[in-house]
Amino acid sequence: MARFVARRLFSLIFVLFSITFLTFLVGYLAPGDPIQAMMGSRRDPKIYARLQHEYGLDRPFTEQYAAYISGVLQGDLGKSYRFAGRPVWDLIKTGAPVSAELGLTALGISLLVGVPVGMLAAIRADGLFDRLSTVGMLLIYSVPGFVIAGVLQIMQVIAYQNKLPSLPTSGWGRPEHWVLPVLVLAAATTGYLATLTRSSMLEVLGQDYVRTARAKGASQARVMFHHALRNALIPIVTVLGPSVAFVVVGSFAVENVFRVPGIGFVAVQAIGTRDYPVIQSVTLILAAAVVVMNLITDMAYTVLDPRIRTR
Amino acid sequence: MRRLKKNPVAFAALIVLAAMCVFAVLGPWLHRVDPALQDVDNLRAFPSALHPLGTDDRGRDTLARLMIGLRVSLLVAVAVEAFNVVVGAGLGLAAGYFGGAVDFVVSRLADMLFAFPGILLAILISAVFGSSIGTLGDGAGRLLLVSGSLALVGWPLMARYVRGQTLALRERPWIDGSRALGASDVAILLRHILPNLGNLVIVSATLDVAGVVVSEATLGLLGLSAQPPQTSLGKMIVEAFGYITLNWTQVFWPSLALSVLVLAVSFLGDGLREKV
Repeated sequence: MARFVARRLFSLIFVLFSITFLTFLVGYLAPGDPIQAMMGSRRDPKIYARLQHEYGLDRPFTEQYAAYISGVLQGDLGKSYRFAGRPVWDLIKTGAPVSAELGLTALGISLLVGVPVGMLAAIRADGLFDRLSTVGMLLIYSVPGFVIAGVLQIMQVIAYQNKLPSLPTSGWGRPEHWVLPVLVLAAATTGYLATLTRSSMLEVLGQDYVRTARAKGASQARVMFHHALRNALIPIVTVLGPSVAFVVVGSFAVENVFRVPGIGFVAVQAIGTRDYPVIQSVTLILAAAVVVMNLITDMAYTVLDPRIRTR
Repeated sequence: MRRLKKNPVAFAALIVLAAMCVFAVLGPWLHRVDPALQDVDNLRAFPSALHPLGTDDRGRDTLARLMIGLRVSLLVAVAVEAFNVVVGAGLGLAAGYFGGAVDFVVSRLADMLFAFPGILLAILISAVFGSSIGTLGDGAGRLLLVSGSLALVGWPLMARYVRGQTLALRERPWIDGSRALGASDVAILLRHILPNLGNLVIVSATLDVAGVVVSEATLGLLGLSAQPPQTSLGKMIVEAFGYITLNWTQVFWPSLALSVLVLAVSFLGDGLREKV
């Protein structure tokens, strides 16, 4: 167990190094002169040098990287180029909880829907429910989220035009604003989890111990929940990490389509104004969120499946 | 091809895909409307004889724009997969066959890029370099940047597949046999290993196309793919969201085109995988 944790921690350090190094490298190689852009049309070498020093841009690559890392570790993500002198964190701190809540709600819903759908499909493989849900889940998994967003919005518009109850297509603040973004964000993950649960359940249901449980007279419910599901859940737990990645990348599109003031929305506005430190930081935060989730997943996996620990 | 005919779904997907390529490549010769022309008398128009799929909020013909948007999707997909096959498979082959330092460098590089979830790194790169590389050569630079950033996050997967397969192939008795007969590394790679990797590479490249098409559309949605007068399906969709209450069909057409393309590629890839 100790060796396992040590190996995981080592690979975590490597991954975090990769993420910070690559985001930093991209920012370092970024074209244009941010200091001159900040000063506008003014030309004053003194102010230029002072600003350059203040932002640490007069130091060599390795020193800049070291400063960046130590800053990040202390929660300092650097300063915005667009809003001179304002810390990046100021710009994203209101968006971060919004994105996190939205993402976690979506993830929760996809678990609550995806796993039971996959289970029901596996109980009667090739039955009507199985066939319908397999096609449905494949659709919501492979069609991109913003297309599903489009379909849902078109439905709202048509409902609204026909004086039927409808949901707001954009905006934030009231509870009904949550419905569409959460549905869209949850769609791909739900399809993914349902497909995986189905195949995982089918595999487990073919095992000897399930047959034994049935032979000794266990009820269908007991076989399903006690014997099959607990084993079938193991591969599902392992994909929770990648599922977070789905949600994270999806949030960029969803937040912008529905005008949800999360960090994906902030990032896209920063793209428009070429505020690199903000884009860099959002990338870093989202990647780190996925990494941490992967780690938690791995730990949970070891707890659930004792066979891993002995390896 | 022959094997595909036995799988009706995959065969149908192939036909749909071919039709979409023809539509994107030859369409502009049949439907001779300038996709950048703004017909200010027909803003956000519903379908008519003049504009078969209507117009967007600047009066630009949606059918014509769909064709050039689809072209961008297909061009990016082909460019990214070409890179994946040449660089990704090439590096995977080298890492698997030679092992040692080559393997270490290639694998760590791939691990490093894998650290980023999905297309986050591609978003970052195309956002930061959009103003320099992206403005080169009349739209070509932008396509190169989009393809390049997607290829950069895409090749490690191909390299990993090919490396694994090469490792397994390297230990086969007939490889030992030809080495005993004095065959050089190059000869073994070309005669014995490459032909056995063909299927794997084709299938994984096809399966990957769906993801690349969606990624390109996502970049387009964020305003990072093709710029005016070109367009991207993702960009068309997000622009049409702005006036969805006035004309929802403009969200519908590019969404439909994108979904059909993605589903066709996925079904074709699945069909190829099953038959291999």
